[in-house]
Amino acid sequence: MSLSRLARISPLTRRFASHSASSPPPSFNTVGPYQVFDRNAKRMQKERAALRNGGEQSRLVDYVRDEVADRMMERFLDIKRNFNTIIDLGSGPGHFSKLLEPDKAKKSIMIDSSPATLHRDPADEFEVEIERLGGDEENLLQMIPPDSQEAVVSCLSLHWVNDLPGALVQIKEALQPDGLFLGAMFGGDTLFELRTALQLAEVEREGGISPHISPMTDTRDVSNLLGRAGFTLLTVDIDEVKVGYPSIWELMEDLGHMGERNAVVGRRPLIHRDTLAAAAAIYKELHGNEDGTIPATFQIIYMIGWKPAPSQPKPLDRGTGKVNLKDVLD
Amino acid sequence: MNASKIVKDTHTPLKKFAYATTVTCSTQASTYGKCIAANYTDVRKDMCKDEFAKFAECLRTTVS
Repeated sequence: MSLSRLARISPLTRRFASHSASSPPPSFNTVGPYQVFDRNAKRMQKERAALRNGGEQSRLVDYVRDEVADRMMERFLDIKRNFNTIIDLGSGPGHFSKLLEPDKAKKSIMIDSSPATLHRDPADEFEVEIERLGGDEENLLQMIPPDSQEAVVSCLSLHWVNDLPGALVQIKEALQPDGLFLGAMFGGDTLFELRTALQLAEVEREGGISPHISPMTDTRDVSNLLGRAGFTLLTVDIDEVKVGYPSIWELMEDLGHMGERNAVVGRRPLIHRDTLAAAAAIYKELHGNEDGTIPATFQIIYMIGWKPAPSQPKPLDRGTGKVNLKDVLD
Repeated sequence: MNASKIVKDTHTPLKKFAYATTVTCSTQASTYGKCIAANYTDVRKDMCKDEFAKFAECLRTTVS
């Protein structure tokens, strides 16, 4: 086969290979992170969710994010330091920033890729000064100069980031030395009930499976990722929020209103009716509570990391210990 | 935390369908679910075909 003929064929085959029309096709000539999520589709979902009923519908389903923001604030308050400005990366309408008190942080810069979500709630719901910045979490350094921030927080947005190691590196770069990163993300076993119910239903009804729930970051990986990004003094812990729903239908409807619809590249646009009915039955039998409701698990990974600075406490060198452990233990 | 109770909201076709799967045909749904749950580590296509056929039949008569 001549080279010119090959060149003619390849664009066509490339077209079949691309997963989704709404996102740019992955470039085959550059080395880059693997694209798992369709960021464009995600932004549209968030826009639509935040605009429905003038934002009312979206406010109704704030319960998971508000709960997690509350738990994240407890961790933030444990840090004995006050801040002038913090960055709330992937803020949504500002679940975390709303809880800030002026004596802890004077100003919050909220960054989110969806303008409608970002501007959903009026400024008088916040106690601190806020600035809203529309932009992609994956390109933080294009908005924020390096070595400029005292603290970056992120409440439940990193689970849609394609290049998590890269995003963490950018956060570290944006921080001043001894700057704080505090984050919460969905991971681990989040929505495992829905995942398994849909998988079982698809296998039994259609004989195959397709992705409906995002791949999740494993809890064990997060400390490695933070370390790799160059953070020190790491603290990682996990927590669960379990929500009861009447049935799978209410769960899926609420996830949609949260802007948390499926955005995996190569997803099927719809699930067959029979498969959905089967999944509803399986969910209830396999995972259902005794009172007839069904549980949905959200597992949240909290992470704290600091940008290295000479002033920070460091472990002593090996062999410099003066006290013999044997004497202490005897 | 608990979301609100099932409301009989049958305005949209999907809501109607949802109501049928969870309330009207709950007996058939449960039979099908139990069939899967009994063997969920080794599920094959059409393993619970008969159970699902009864469930689907109930849905069809309720929704239409």
